[in-house]
Amino acid sequence: MNSSKAQNTLALTKLNLRHDWLKIVLWILGLAGLMAVAAAKFGGIYGTQKAMNTIAETLRTPAMVSLLGPFTATKPYTTAMIYGSEMMVFMGLFAAMMNLYFAVHATRAQEDTGTSELLLAHAVGRQSPLLAAIAELAIINVAAGVIEALGLQAANMPGADAAGNWLFGLGLAAFGFMFGTFALLFSQVVSNARSATILSYSWLGILFVARMGADIQDPDLTWWTIFGWIEKMELYTNNVWTPLALMLGMSVIVLAVTIALAASRDIGAGLITPRAGRARASRFLQGPLSLLARLERTSTWIWLIGMFLLGVSYGSIFGTVGDLAKANPTLSKLLGGAGTDAANKAIILAMANKLAIIFVVVATIPALLTILRLNNDEKKGYLELQHAAPISRLRLFASFAGHGLVVGSLSFLLALVGMVVAGASSATVTISAARYLRGFVGFWPALLVVCGIGALLVGLLPRLQSLVWILPIYGVISLYLGPLLDFPTWATRLTPYGWVNEVPVKAIQWAPVGWMTALACVLFVLGYLAYRRRDLTMN
Amino acid sequence: MMADVLTIDHLQKKFGKFEALKNISFSIHQGEVFGFIGPNGAGKSTTIRTLLGILKPTAGTATIFGEDAWAEAVGIHKRIAYVPGDVYLWPNLTGGEVIDFLLRLNGEAHSEKTDALIKKFDLDPTKKARTYSKGNRQKVALIAAFSSDAELYIFDEPTSGLDPLMEEVFQEEVLALKAAGKSVLLSSHILSEVERMCDRIAIIRQGEIIEIGSLQAMQQLSRSTVHVATTQDLSAIKQLPAVHQFTAKSATQATFSVDADQLGAVMTALTPLGITQLQSTPPTLEDLFLRYYNQEGDGHEQQ
Repeated sequence: MNSSKAQNTLALTKLNLRHDWLKIVLWILGLAGLMAVAAAKFGGIYGTQKAMNTIAETLRTPAMVSLLGPFTATKPYTTAMIYGSEMMVFMGLFAAMMNLYFAVHATRAQEDTGTSELLLAHAVGRQSPLLAAIAELAIINVAAGVIEALGLQAANMPGADAAGNWLFGLGLAAFGFMFGTFALLFSQVVSNARSATILSYSWLGILFVARMGADIQDPDLTWWTIFGWIEKMELYTNNVWTPLALMLGMSVIVLAVTIALAASRDIGAGLITPRAGRARASRFLQGPLSLLARLERTSTWIWLIGMFLLGVSYGSIFGTVGDLAKANPTLSKLLGGAGTDAANKAIILAMANKLAIIFVVVATIPALLTILRLNNDEKKGYLELQHAAPISRLRLFASFAGHGLVVGSLSFLLALVGMVVAGASSATVTISAARYLRGFVGFWPALLVVCGIGALLVGLLPRLQSLVWILPIYGVISLYLGPLLDFPTWATRLTPYGWVNEVPVKAIQWAPVGWMTALACVLFVLGYLAYRRRDLTMN
Repeated sequence: MMADVLTIDHLQKKFGKFEALKNISFSIHQGEVFGFIGPNGAGKSTTIRTLLGILKPTAGTATIFGEDAWAEAVGIHKRIAYVPGDVYLWPNLTGGEVIDFLLRLNGEAHSEKTDALIKKFDLDPTKKARTYSKGNRQKVALIAAFSSDAELYIFDEPTSGLDPLMEEVFQEEVLALKAAGKSVLLSSHILSEVERMCDRIAIIRQGEIIEIGSLQAMQQLSRSTVHVATTQDLSAIKQLPAVHQFTAKSATQATFSVDADQLGAVMTALTPLGITQLQSTPPTLEDLFLRYYNQEGDGHEQQ
């Protein structure tokens, strides 16, 4: 590559960093803070050998392996080993998400808004925006990795050593960077930021589910799932650096392909050239709701099918999860046949509860995306032509809110249905579909309330509407990791997801279902009233 | 006396502390093409968006067909067609899909006229909006607007991205609307376009209407440019109160501007000097526009 293609890369990198610094700082502080706080707390929660033995047993169960990755440490356990095993996959997921965001943001999103065109008209090399994005990702990840490692050093967990701390921090950095490079690659293939994000997240989802399956079936297979590399570092036990090298190697290969692809395409275009479309609109396209359904068609299918498959992949491990005879033969013998069945059933239902939380949080994403889209489309000017048409604000607001709720609710339901169907065929004990679907009835109102809060922000505080994302992010942290981190009850009740009891293990509490649904309705109505009263154009 | 389709009365709009519209009042009569001119940021688009019920007035009223533009937006919108200055289309839809969609929103359908307009504006309706240029996106909105049977058409700088050929097509279509008795509000930067088509014109500056009326009336209130050559020395003409910006090419040749209503008196003074050549041009809209703008803050008259 000659220098003219890379001219002013440094200047662009600085520009990106200056533009994104607040987001970068928030992400890094969030990730490093979560790790440091958890590390500091682990000493208290898992301080004794007895507590560690108990949690180690739990972590070895297939249910926990599917969620958090395998627990490979051997006795005597240390707090750090427990920590490494519990946090690695989870933190990896977050590191990957951070990188997907910045990668698409620094490349395809800039092309969408025309910023790239403006820059390339100056003395800026053709490859410079891409190289600047790579540099930005590298800087973000190195900074995050170093700060995370320093945080772990400061937390000074029993059993933690410098090698393990640095491997954790830098391993996350390499892991995140690798997913950043995947997103850069996808940003070359498709022709807009939205598709690039969808593709990147689909890829992350596929690898995550593959890792889960491999961990349950045969941990050796996990090497092939890419995502699983992060588990193979065996933190605080063997501290293996090979996966880190693999991640960097993969990043280099992906980047080489990305740069080659970028060189062979036009700015603003993808590798897939858009086909000519229809000259006339289909009969179906009649109003704002059908327009939205048409615009969201592809992503709706991806969500519905993806969530169903996610449910199926978790359900299919119920057989392994609820097999006490294999996992703990001594206990199984002790309990006898009926006792073992009851225990298996309890294990599966407890897992179904955890899964319902994950499904409902994930299903919130498409719902919120659509609800927030009302203002995002507004900002892009897409709605101005509709505003001049006889479309009431109620109809517009209700279209976005309704479409979001339907897709979110269906995604949630399909994930549970997938889990039920696959669970029924894999589990050794029979649990009725109605029992599993208590999870839907219980958690669905939480989805409604979170969406209601989103709708209220859309109407009342459009500039701050992105704040609603705190709810699902904190929700998954508090409920997924909360029990392991010994969160106090109030801390798990900060989001609506924490207001739901342990369905389907326990019976549905109809009172919260009722008042949460009512609260959601009120929030939607208030959101609409605020939306009706205000100016529409924000650009 | 024809009924007014649109009336704006002491309209004000503030964004926080910024006063985008300070005091806007005008009305558009039935069957009239009304020009709305002013520089960038003067408040043209803000006025139009208030008319469409997209923005809520801080004070004052805007009514269309006698109904409040904010409260009765939906009912009003059934009877209007609008083309914004910056047309943004959903990138995944084709131009053809957008046109049909916009027509259907107003309860209308793709007609032969639509096909004729697509042809006339030379648009490829099968292309995705993502690939359209600014001009092509504008064509999509224009075709949808001209194809619909509205009573009031609102155009906000509709030709800013069009080439001269397409601008010509646009003007033809607007004149056809005029012939059909439709009312049109045309905000534009292309002053020749406004000059050619508009019955009355409002000039807006910094959120205030500073002049309103027909071009002729404005010309009457303004000055004509006079080029004159005489047989005798004409430097005395410079002293007349109605004469401004007097520049002499020689003792017997000069160019100056004259207050339109004093043209006769100046002619009377010139006649004894033996006129050999005389050319009097009324101010173009551009002259008027520049004059209104240049006198900003300098009082009403500038010597």
